[in-house]
Amino acid sequence: MVIMAEEEENAASTVSEFPKGRVKKIMTLDKDVKRVSSEALFLVSRSTELFLQFLAEKSAQVAIEKKRKTVNLEHIRVAVKRHQPTRDFLLDDLPPPSQPNKPDKHTTPAARPKSDKPLPGTRRIDQFFRKPEPENPAQAEAQAQSPIPVDES
Amino acid sequence: MVDNIGGSSSNAENSGMREQDQLLPIANVGRIMKQILPPNAKISKESKETMQECVSEFISFVTSEASEKCRRERRKTVNGDDVCWALASLGFDDYAEPLRRYLHRYRELEVDRSTNQDRGNSPLTREGS
Repeated sequence: MVIMAEEEENAASTVSEFPKGRVKKIMTLDKDVKRVSSEALFLVSRSTELFLQFLAEKSAQVAIEKKRKTVNLEHIRVAVKRHQPTRDFLLDDLPPPSQPNKPDKHTTPAARPKSDKPLPGTRRIDQFFRKPEPENPAQAEAQAQSPIPVDES
Repeated sequence: MVDNIGGSSSNAENSGMREQDQLLPIANVGRIMKQILPPNAKISKESKETMQECVSEFISFVTSEASEKCRRERRKTVNGDDVCWALASLGFDDYAEPLRRYLHRYRELEVDRSTNQDRGNSPLTREGS
């Protein structure tokens, strides 16, 4: 019996880490792709593993450079930028950077205004507990009854 | 779950997120990342999800390039050589060496499986019946 080192065995494995059906599904999203040989499917799966390993490793390196323990989106972004072939197809697809935490002069956090008029079609909850202005008699009558249906069963 | 049958060819250009069935399972993605990262490193959930998207993009990108070659050469089936060519063409030629080994091994086993004989010259099938 031939005993192989674990790494070599992994390299020789004919089974991909990714489910074949899912890889194939992604490949055939492109309607110009009609038929795919099993070899092609296998190689796409394996090369995708290599790519993932590569990107994970590079992202981790960036995290280490920035003295962080957790790999985040910005580390991935830097890793993508550093490898030209990857940058070419992937950079624009990454989610945009999240807003910085520092308060900005021009945009204040959206605090709920306390004395604003309610949006049309809605009523502020405290109106349920107040006698309404007799603006609309029908509405006033409706509000006189319990506005919140109670399940009495 | 959104039904993707007969989806438009602009799927790959969606600016929004892909549906789950257009992504590789996050468990697989996370596991491979964990194997590569240093033992004490952590991965944010957002990063794992981003990686899911990245690998799907990679698959689409490579497939599209390979498929385009088939179209030019008037062939209907994308084969292994097309994939190798596409990877080299897109700048991933350093994958060629490992892929060649994978493919060699894959072909060996596939032949063994389909013929179901002891081939004698293959060390792994020397034992057996």
